[in-house]
Amino acid sequence: MADARTGATAPQAAAVHPASQPTPVEMEKQKAAARRAWARAALVYVLLLVFSLFFMGPFLFATLSSFKDDPIEWPPRLDPPQLKPANWVAAWRLGKAGGGSGWFGAFAPGAEVPFEVTYFVPDGIEPQAPIVRVPRRLPGAGIGAVRPGAFAADYAIVSEVVETARQPAEVAGVSGQLVTYAFTIRHNGEPVVADRLPLDLEVQLRQTFYSATLAPNRIERLGRVQSWNNVAPGVIPYVFYNYTRVFQENYSRTTGKNLFLTWIGNSFFIAGVKVLTHLIIASMTGYALARLRFPGRNALFMLILFSMMIPGQVTFISNYLVLRDGIFGLSKLWGQETLLNSFTGIILSGLCGGSAVFIMKQFFESLPRELEESARIDGAGPATIYTRIVLPLARPALGAVAILTFQGVWNEFFWPLIVLTTPQDKFTLTVGLLNLRQAYGAVALDWGPLLAGAFISAVPVIIIFLVFQRYFVEGISFTGIKG
Amino acid sequence: MQCGRLGRFSRPFKASFVALIIAALVALPAAAQTTVRVSGWGGTDIAIVEELIERFVKPAVEPLGINVVYEPIADAYDTYIVNALSAGTAPDVFYVDIFWAEGLMRAGQLEPLNDYMAKSDVLKAEHIIPELLAAFTLDGKIYGIPKDFNTLALFYNKDLFDLAGVPYPDENDDWNTLADKLSRVAALGPDFYGLALQPEYARFGAFALATGWQPFDENGRTNLLDPRFVEAFKWYTGLVANRSGVHPQDVGQGWGGGALTTEQVAAAVEGAWILGFLRDSAPNMEYGAVPLPKHPGTGERGNIIFTVSWSINARSQVKEEAFKVLEALTSPEAQQWVLERGLALPSRAALVDNPYFAQPDREAQANLIVFKGASDGYVEPFKFLNYGGDWMAPINDALGAVLLGEMDADTALREAQQRMDALLAR
Repeated sequence: MADARTGATAPQAAAVHPASQPTPVEMEKQKAAARRAWARAALVYVLLLVFSLFFMGPFLFATLSSFKDDPIEWPPRLDPPQLKPANWVAAWRLGKAGGGSGWFGAFAPGAEVPFEVTYFVPDGIEPQAPIVRVPRRLPGAGIGAVRPGAFAADYAIVSEVVETARQPAEVAGVSGQLVTYAFTIRHNGEPVVADRLPLDLEVQLRQTFYSATLAPNRIERLGRVQSWNNVAPGVIPYVFYNYTRVFQENYSRTTGKNLFLTWIGNSFFIAGVKVLTHLIIASMTGYALARLRFPGRNALFMLILFSMMIPGQVTFISNYLVLRDGIFGLSKLWGQETLLNSFTGIILSGLCGGSAVFIMKQFFESLPRELEESARIDGAGPATIYTRIVLPLARPALGAVAILTFQGVWNEFFWPLIVLTTPQDKFTLTVGLLNLRQAYGAVALDWGPLLAGAFISAVPVIIIFLVFQRYFVEGISFTGIKG
Repeated sequence: MQCGRLGRFSRPFKASFVALIIAALVALPAAAQTTVRVSGWGGTDIAIVEELIERFVKPAVEPLGINVVYEPIADAYDTYIVNALSAGTAPDVFYVDIFWAEGLMRAGQLEPLNDYMAKSDVLKAEHIIPELLAAFTLDGKIYGIPKDFNTLALFYNKDLFDLAGVPYPDENDDWNTLADKLSRVAALGPDFYGLALQPEYARFGAFALATGWQPFDENGRTNLLDPRFVEAFKWYTGLVANRSGVHPQDVGQGWGGGALTTEQVAAAVEGAWILGFLRDSAPNMEYGAVPLPKHPGTGERGNIIFTVSWSINARSQVKEEAFKVLEALTSPEAQQWVLERGLALPSRAALVDNPYFAQPDREAQANLIVFKGASDGYVEPFKFLNYGGDWMAPINDALGAVLLGEMDADTALREAQQRMDALLAR
């Protein structure tokens, strides 16, 4: 961009003095113009960068936080230990040593987990070997608090703690020595596998933690205690700690089903069915409104437009009552007393939207009539024209409707919240996330699983956006509005 | 909003052929079992109630031909229950939080349980801690059986008191001796503070009550300019002066529990809900819990009871069966199971002798302090006639303004009283 601009100034200068070399003054002018052009370009780029950071920033930050032990830590760190390759390697090794795989660790019979920790001891203090404990740590919130699994503490044997190295060092201007201790945690051989191996080390005050085989999850009691959630984690439970919790800790007591996967499945199912019904109904209605002549056509179209202008909140209560009574009792025909708490209800109450019809109608009106007329001359009726000629041509509009519908239904929250109240395996993902908020956030201010769940719920929409970007833009240009 | 099963077929616009078909379908034989729907909010409660139903409710009621269906609500439970009661879709047995219970009681949406309890052998009024039952009683009628409860206690970090060489807070402390201990811990350095002071009636209220002040006088009026209230207000907000107290925000936290985990704050006023949080966020913290300090003048403590009941829908079709379910949910065995797992505090007074409380474990000790808080000194339930959270807002705002140094205490209280008068005049 900048090159093009400076290029444009050069011929001007040449036109004024065709025969001569540019004077020093003119060269100065050219340079100034070039500088201005660069400055403009730089400004544009900086502004774009600022805007993209502004819009993407919160999302990226939330994603980063979803990896942390304490997502709301203050001040926030940009380099949590979970994102350091050295810890990945350690997590892999420790996971294998614990008797699991490198990806998913465990504490199983035959486990022999070696561990090393280094402390900084200022001069004048006699180094002290840490007291090693494998605690019985019960989760404070979520399903784990009620139904704990096996405790590693019941099967762990800790070896003697040995000092392996001692060297003088200076840390933060204080001279002293670095002392390294090593120990091993063994499984006692009973045939029980614990899914994690928590660890606490305690030393005297002022003997400060320096480094360890795996970075600790927290340092407590004014530096005296270093505490690990799991010292045999494997890479995935270590890096994606909150993500594994979302999947592992949410299952239904009654059916035993994994709730989080069920919620994802429900959201896909409802979104998929609604996309189909939107495509079928909107394309047929749109075609009829665009091409067929029948009395009341304009009134019908106005009615559809009008339906787009009523805020959803206005019709929530009446829609709810209609579903409660099973659409005036109609649902009893197929054996449902009420349509509350059923996918049928949630799908029937949003078979098609006015905006989808509008997109399709506008698109069909832009198709040349000659295509259909020539088909009619060949003897095709409206149905054949619709399926053989018009639909294949309408692919861009159908794509736009499909994407906008999918995105809308996937993110839909309030209506599923009201209609699908029970049991938990009926929830959509958005309602399920709210449940996570209650289970972790509201009880123990433990926001990690919620952030992880929110990130997972954003993934399908992000993928669809990246793959079908073009249709999104077309969808917007068809309607002039989004959604 | 009439929702009788037959009532809706009489509406003229439905008197069509559809109605005929429906009428034919309605005539199908009804299920032999009675279904009782049970509802509460989501979160950890789901796992607890599922276990209770499997372990205690189903064995008790299934022989009676009662089928229990549990329907937890993910969020906005209070909104849900009010809407569902209006729409006629409400469950038969459900949670009622004391905070918004009064509106439902007065509207006649909850079934009075006196007659049922008179006939029951398992559930008698005298089994339940009287202060808790009183919270759900209106004009002599009992509208709910408390399922569990919480009160406030002083949680403190032993390490900080040790470091400062100050004796731990104890049950004999009054406001002055506690403030003295806190100021000596704060003297450790500029990064150390005494008590986490949340600008909320839900914490501060306990101190106001200790003076003998009452939220409402006999005319239903609230007097924030009462010298007793003013004294408590000035003591609480005055702690910030020498770092004996700190607004949790000043240590980057939103509440007392978070402030404790920074290890910069020596103590916080919280309920047993802090235990689960500490278990996850600071599993090794050496903390202790003691009753709130006494007011030096009255020699009494104040406290606030937070509680939730199981209540029965007044329009339920299966009230007798619903009461059987309620009995099983609040049975001694069920409450003991919940207590022994440290999940919640039971409402049955007899459980104070449970061996759980005698354990040397710090969580059990803290639970015992919170349990006893319900019957020690001037105790009020966390409810404000039917004003709900609106009643607390003027007090909370005044506390916040003074703690942040935006206003002096007298101005803030005068302003709060004006807002309170406007609210009560509505």
